[in-house]
Amino acid sequence: MAACIVCEGNIDIPEDTEEGEIIECPECGIELEVVSIDPIELAPAPKEEEDWGE
Amino acid sequence: MDNVSFLKDLLNIYSPSGEEKEISNYLCEKLNSLGFNTYCDEVGNVIAKIGSGKPDIILLGHIDTVKGFIDIKEIDGKIYGRGSVDAKGPFAVFVCAVNEIKDILNKSVTIIGTVQEEERSKGARYIVGRYSPDYAVIGEPSGTSGITLGYKGSLEVEYSLKKEMVHHSGKDLTAAEQAIDFWNKIEHFCTNFSKGKKIFDALIPSLISINSLNDDYTQGVVAELNVRTPVDFDVEKFKDWITSNKGEGEVKFIDFRPPVRSSKNSKLIRSFIKSIRRHDGEPVFKLKTGTSDMNVVAEKWKCPILAYGPGESSLDHTPNENISIEEYKKAIEILKYVIRSL
Repeated sequence: MAACIVCEGNIDIPEDTEEGEIIECPECGIELEVVSIDPIELAPAPKEEEDWGE
Repeated sequence: MDNVSFLKDLLNIYSPSGEEKEISNYLCEKLNSLGFNTYCDEVGNVIAKIGSGKPDIILLGHIDTVKGFIDIKEIDGKIYGRGSVDAKGPFAVFVCAVNEIKDILNKSVTIIGTVQEEERSKGARYIVGRYSPDYAVIGEPSGTSGITLGYKGSLEVEYSLKKEMVHHSGKDLTAAEQAIDFWNKIEHFCTNFSKGKKIFDALIPSLISINSLNDDYTQGVVAELNVRTPVDFDVEKFKDWITSNKGEGEVKFIDFRPPVRSSKNSKLIRSFIKSIRRHDGEPVFKLKTGTSDMNVVAEKWKCPILAYGPGESSLDHTPNENISIEEYKKAIEILKYVIRSL
């Protein structure tokens, strides 16, 4: 279990969670990145940008 | 191998779509000499395999460019040349990264250099049914910290109308006026559909060309249109709508490349996120309004897939196309980590 860095809601972190995984806070819906497994550390997920090309 | 010299060699070989033979031959020879099992297939794609076992990884980048050779120059740490960004730079990153870890490779890697991506992805269409990788990376510029998750779809439409000449002062619309009327309907439909939507979720129409073909007795018009389509958009229904609004004209659907949007949660994406962070980058997901070979292969391969490569997309197809050497080298390091961690 970890706390959402935005709303402090509880987020269940399954045992097989991997570094780099994107998870969604069930309470506020924000996407978070698991930046560390031991200990669990969450950060805002990479931003999504719209781009043109190719 | 000197990685920068290799990129310059690729840029020095002019290879607009349909004229890739020289670069295909060069790559076959070069990659064979590096230890890849390399050959050119029937349409001119370069296929280079190395390693064995699972997973099977495909690194696919196109070796054609748009027209317009640019003299190779190195200024202020940047290499100028046609294709430096789109997409010989990203392709060279594939070759250099795999070459540097080939001796410790415990998986299969196939590098595919496709032809005619800048036209209608002839090379990618040829190979798509011949492979079934576990992971695929498409070589297109995303910036060293960018991970391209998706591309919009692309529907190409040709409208044509030929009819008897009418007097301009009469009440009948001319062929040219009817073509413009048809275009206005398409544009209106797309505008209504796209209200309040982000660009990636919108319908984006373009009138590529419109030409009138009049003689003494007949008047004609041919228009070429393109509509960029979002994911989960019913294209068949849209085509029916287009057909029902063609009036007296004829409509041909020339080509459709389906949209693609990858999941953010796959081992491939996680590996890129980790690698970018380990190389002091801040990962960013990108959704593109254009198309690439990823549109062609993603639907069939059904494996984790993304597009990656150094370079700024805004320089694609421009006379100032250039790539930062520092970014190029960094992208090689990022990809090496990704391949080793898969």
